[in-house]
Amino acid sequence: MEMDRPDGRSPNQLRPLACSRSVLHRAHGSATWAQGETKVLAAVYGPKAGTKKNENPEKASIEIIWKPNTGHIGQADREHEMILKKTFESICIRTIYPNTTTSIVVQVVHDDGALLPCAINAACAALVDAGIPLRHLAVAICCSVTDNNCIILDPSKQEEEKAKAFAYLVFPNTTVSVVPEKSLQAGSDPMAHGIITSVTHGAMSVDDYLHCLERGRATTQRLSEFLRKNMEPKSTREASKAG
Amino acid sequence: MREIQLQLNQTQKLRLQKVLETLESQSSIPNSDSSVTISDSISVNHEDGVLKGHGTTDHNGEVVATLCGIVERVNKLVYVRTLRSRYKPEDGDIVIGRVVEVAQKCWRLDINCSQNAYLMLSAMNMPDGVQRRRTAVDELNMRRIFEEGDVICAEVRRSQHDDIHLQARSQKYGKLNAGQLLTVAPYLVKRQKQHFHHLEKFDVDLILGCNGFVWVGEHVEARDVMVEDPVNLSDPQVLIPNENSVSLEEQDKNYTALETRNYICRAANAVRVLSTLGFTITLESIKEVIDLSISANLDIHDMFGSEFCVLVAEKEAERRSSSKRKR
Repeated sequence: MEMDRPDGRSPNQLRPLACSRSVLHRAHGSATWAQGETKVLAAVYGPKAGTKKNENPEKASIEIIWKPNTGHIGQADREHEMILKKTFESICIRTIYPNTTTSIVVQVVHDDGALLPCAINAACAALVDAGIPLRHLAVAICCSVTDNNCIILDPSKQEEEKAKAFAYLVFPNTTVSVVPEKSLQAGSDPMAHGIITSVTHGAMSVDDYLHCLERGRATTQRLSEFLRKNMEPKSTREASKAG
Repeated sequence: MREIQLQLNQTQKLRLQKVLETLESQSSIPNSDSSVTISDSISVNHEDGVLKGHGTTDHNGEVVATLCGIVERVNKLVYVRTLRSRYKPEDGDIVIGRVVEVAQKCWRLDINCSQNAYLMLSAMNMPDGVQRRRTAVDELNMRRIFEEGDVICAEVRRSQHDDIHLQARSQKYGKLNAGQLLTVAPYLVKRQKQHFHHLEKFDVDLILGCNGFVWVGEHVEARDVMVEDPVNLSDPQVLIPNENSVSLEEQDKNYTALETRNYICRAANAVRVLSTLGFTITLESIKEVIDLSISANLDIHDMFGSEFCVLVAEKEAERRSSSKRKR
């Protein structure tokens, strides 16, 4: 079903991605992530000693601070904090640094749709920049179901407001073997198995939701490649320069 | 450390690119095989029984990386070494820190690490050199030894539990005056035999802290923490340093000559240029950059210019290729 999106994208097309790491000098790790106009800045501090009272002291705890671009911190921000906390608790290997707290501060720079996935991607890149061991990378995507039951990916704010329902999905990225020949042989792309987080708004049918899952999973391949490319050359270049 | 924004014109950009490419091709690290990102599986010979070290985890029977970095293999141990992580103190490292707080019986120092380090009062030599128990009077006089904001050179002691403890028991450690403290990325300073260097030509002291703090300062003969006042020696309980009663002659002595200051600035700029370009900071590389700047008759502030940075990069590539040929 052909769908006319206001910015002329096809239903499966993502907005241009931009990611930069180590933007903040005092934070242990930091990254910005931009999808089109939506831009989020994330900073990671940690692991710091001590946990909060309610937390399990045998595991590392993760604390998220969400800062909106305007206004005071409200209920929606607390909800975002909770979603991010649960997401990253499943990614980080919490048994490595027991009784410590890792803080992730997320600052919204501009919101133009798909804010939560953008924030999750930014925070994941910041965690990698800080050198915190992760089980796998989290790749987040937003799928929305429009009025004529058409599924589009990465909606802008306009499209999100008009949509019947939308879902934020977070998948683990695919495991790639280090030896390049093996990955070339895999003609059928190794699909990411499992899902980390799913947040839905609005009402959609079960079939629509399953379609969203499929589409989202297929797109995470592209996103995780982008993330991977972003991390690799910097490290090898620095290694060769340092000698 | 904030990067100096290099405004390179077209030719300079091309030259810099070419130099970086030659460096990459010369580097001994095989690029494709070793560098991994998170959740890359590491190729392991499973029959050998591999030990999974830092940065790896077991996932469905495969060894998967949890950090981005380079895979190192030592016999049966496989681990991932990150390239630009925060400084992790090891025993015996020489570090430079700035005092953040004067606490009970210890000073807290900021050493560019995820936590602050402690320098206990008992880990410092007393000014009179006598080995004795630190009394309550010593505790009260702590601020006369080091205050907040002082730059101190020390050595990392056996890091017990989660705290980092330092010690400054030798004459070469202690407070650093008359110089500049520079911050570079910690991975640019490798652990070597000597971290204290003295550039004789310029009469400048150079201390390369493993935590990324580099000190460039006026040469000090023997590092005394304080100069004792002979009158007070008779009363061992009360040791007040000379700082409060500095006469005019003392102030003249503390004045650093203009030429020494010029050399200090030149050396500091050399370190800054090296860190912008991302090269390892060693005594040889700093000396070369200084010599290059002097031979090119550059003013000290011109060392930040793009032309000089490109020259330094080219010289470094040349040096590395020549050292390889010698081998």
